Parts: sequence; C-alpha cells; structure tokens
Amino acid sequence: MAWKDALDSLFGKTTLPRATIDNLFSIATASVTMQGAMNLNPSKTAGLCFKPIESSTYDTARTEIEELLELSSRETKTGYRIITDAYRFTWVLLEDPDFDDLVTGIHLVSQTLIERGFGSYLLCAVFRFEHEKPVYWIYNFKQGRYYPFVPLPDQKRDNAAEFRIKSLLEKELPIQKETGLWYPLWGIPV
Amino acid sequence: MVRWPRDFGLQVRMLGTLFVLGVIYFIFIAVLAYIGVETLLLLAVMLLVLLIQYFFSDRMVLWSMGAREVSEQEEPHLTETLTRLCAIANLPRPRLALVDSAIPNAFATGRNPKNSVIAVTSSLVSTLSQDELEAVLAHELSHVKNRDVMVITFAGFLSTAAYFLFRNWLTYGSGLGSGSGGRRSDKAALLIIIPLLAAVVWLISFLLIKALSRYREFAADRGSAILTGNPSHLASALVKISGEMSGVPTKDLRSVEGMNAFFIIPAISGTSILNLLSTHPTVEQRLAALERIQREMKG
Repeated sequence: MAWKDALDSLFGKTTLPRATIDNLFSIATASVTMQGAMNLNPSKTAGLCFKPIESSTYDTARTEIEELLELSSRETKTGYRIITDAYRFTWVLLEDPDFDDLVTGIHLVSQTLIERGFGSYLLCAVFRFEHEKPVYWIYNFKQGRYYPFVPLPDQKRDNAAEFRIKSLLEKELPIQKETGLWYPLWGIPV
Repeated sequence: MVRWPRDFGLQVRMLGTLFVLGVIYFIFIAVLAYIGVETLLLLAVMLLVLLIQYFFSDRMVLWSMGAREVSEQEEPHLTETLTRLCAIANLPRPRLALVDSAIPNAFATGRNPKNSVIAVTSSLVSTLSQDELEAVLAHELSHVKNRDVMVITFAGFLSTAAYFLFRNWLTYGSGLGSGSGGRRSDKAALLIIIPLLAAVVWLISFLLIKALSRYREFAADRGSAILTGNPSHLASALVKISGEMSGVPTKDLRSVEGMNAFFIIPAISGTSILNLLSTHPTVEQRLAALERIQREMKG
C-alpha cells in the first residue's frame, strides 16, 4: 500500500507498523542446520527487547508478563530476568538449555504483548549462537523477518560472516533481503 | 490496548492550507498568462531553483549550519538511539550530523527518507536526558518520514515564484516595453495591477507557508509521541530547550534565523513576534497538544 504510505506522509500522519509473529518459530529448525553444517551452537539464553510506554494498560500488561513468566518457569524450568538497558528499553531474558523451549518462551511473551496492543513497541527478539565468536539472529517484528548480526569490537560488524551465514540459511529462514534494514544492535545483554 | 488518537482537525487544516495555496498560485499564473507575460523563461528559472533546492538541500543546509556528519563509531550512543527508533518505525536510518553550538537544537534535512540527515547540536546532547534526546530524534525522524523538506520546499517554490515574477516586473517593466499595441490606459492599469497582484500573492503564500510549517510541527510532535510511546518526554525536552534558549544572547541567535523552519524550536528570542509569522507554534501550544495526546492515551 505504497500510495497510502505516501498520503500518510503528506498529511503528517504517523502509524506504526504492526507486529507479525508468524515467522518467529522458524529459528528452531534453522538451529538444527546451523549445528550440523556450521558447528554453530545455540546459547542457552535468548532475549526479547521492547519499548516501555506511558500508559496504565502497559503497566497491567507488564505485570501479566511477569506472572506468566513466573508460572512457566515452574513448568518448563525456564529461568527469566527483566532488565532495562542504557537506552531505557526493556529486555525479557530467558534461560533454558533446551532451544525449543527458549523459542516457545519468547513466542509466548511476544504474543502476550501483541494481544494487549503493544506489538508496535516490540523492537526485536534475539537468539545467540556460538562458534569461536557470537553470532546473533535478530527477529524484527515489523518485517516478520530475521537478519544476522555479528558484532566486532569498536561498533564494527563482520559483514562477511553475516553474508556467509545468510546464504547458508536462506532456504529455511525468512531473511530480510534489504541489508539496509539489518539494524545493528549494540550491547546485547544476551 | 493503546489507541492512538487521530487528529482530523490537523489534517483538515493541512489540506486546507495546501488547497488554498494551490488555488492562489493557479489563479496568479492564469492571470499572468492571460495578460501575456513571458512566463516560460521565468518558469524554467524557478524550476531550476526548485530542482537545485530539492537535490542539494541536505548538503546546502548542512554546510550553511556548519554541521559535520558523524559515523556510528564516533557517536555510538546517539546512533543506536536513532537506530532503535528506525527499527520500531521500520524506516531506513538517516545519517547523523553534529553542530558545534551552544544552542540546544536539532533539525532534519534531505529530500527523502533514504537521503536524509538528522543534525543535533552539541549542547542538545549534553543538556537533554536519554529519554528527552530520544523524543527529539523521534520528532526529527517524523519530519523525515513526513517528507517535510519536500513539502515545505514545494510550498516555498510557490511563494518564490510569485516573488520572482514581482522582481522581474520591476526590472523589465512587465514586458510591456515591447509595445505590442493596445491603448495607453490599459498599459497603465497593468503596470499597477501586476506588481500589486504579485505582492499580494507573495504575502498570502508566505503566511500560508508559515501556517503549513506550524501544522507540520504539530504533526511531528505527534509522531514523536507515538514513536516513543511517551508524549511527556518530548514535552520536557521542549521545556528544557526553550528555557536554555531564552538564556542565550540574541546576537548569536540572529545568524541561524534562516534555518528556523527546520529547527525543533526556532531560535528567535522574544515573544513579541506575531504568531502568524512564526514557523513554529509556541511552546505552550505544543505542550498543550502533547498533553491532549497523553490524556487520550490514558483514557
């Protein structure tokens, strides 16, 4: 709907894109390929990053998420932490040795936030993999797509490694084609 | 569920301003064509100016403001703050520039989201808190998303066109010197009507552009409130910036007046200036609008 976007721009109307969660689960199968083909092992932590907003309905949703996490941590033994980072974004950090449980947990929390109407404020979900250096797969909820992120020291990123891993997983993971939208994310607490 | 209120009034006023601007311009051109002024050449010159403005506005503005583009490595925190806003809005990230200045301010320039630059002054970064800085960046990002440089440039073109024609007439005597017949009294009448018309068109379009610019400001404020989810952050940034600005001597401010349409808060000191002539709504009006958005969010 390009013409609608253009009209919105002309009249200065701001609408945030909606969150889509459909493709989030595909990281679970991709993880098997990464372990087999690249010796890239999933780390036992994953994170969900979102922007807290100024409203009482948000406060209710946040309490609900904490209760939800408390409940599921008793069932699946998934550990959790909620932190605020230097940019004042909220992170829900999950810890579980079983990668599928980790993905399910992230899905559950994002689903709850979307259902309560805060999907627009979901920044991303982050899954960490490791082989020598960390490789992140970042799920962008607005695009409904993943992209790789391999950070190096001094705010640099290993583009070569990112493209390598992208071409290997292109078939099973919905990956953002436009590399201009591969937003870097520094200081990931995962 | 948060429902973001739609501001129909704002859109209607914006549409109205654009419409009236268009009608006036059209009438003006039609009258000139009827009288037989050589508009083709003038139009070509005006179009050239418009194109130059359109394609080089970012570089011209940055250069005139003494802004220096900064890389991600130089300003990691500022860049990351902007990146996250872009990720939430799913927009390409504009480049960032810094202006060494004691006036806390920010502006956006560039013809489209892919070729845009957001500039902030050094004292803005040092004065504002993280939340406030983010709100100001979100305001500028909304200007980029709304293509305000394009809209204002185009609107400016209309008023410039009228002004150019007016000046041209003063220099060449409205092309009547060629003596293509007609009675003397007709010529004399035209001699008075054309400049008068040009002046009136220029004045009205000038005021309309100022009005349009103010509406775009409100729209960008609203955009910032929605993007950050926190209208109060921009409100406190505006209070802080305007407070700092009134403390800065007038002499320094004069030199940046030309950039006012692009600034988050214009650097004109004093409240004596007529609201009608201002590119920005008053801080009070903007705070009231933000407060309204906040109330609607909570309800």
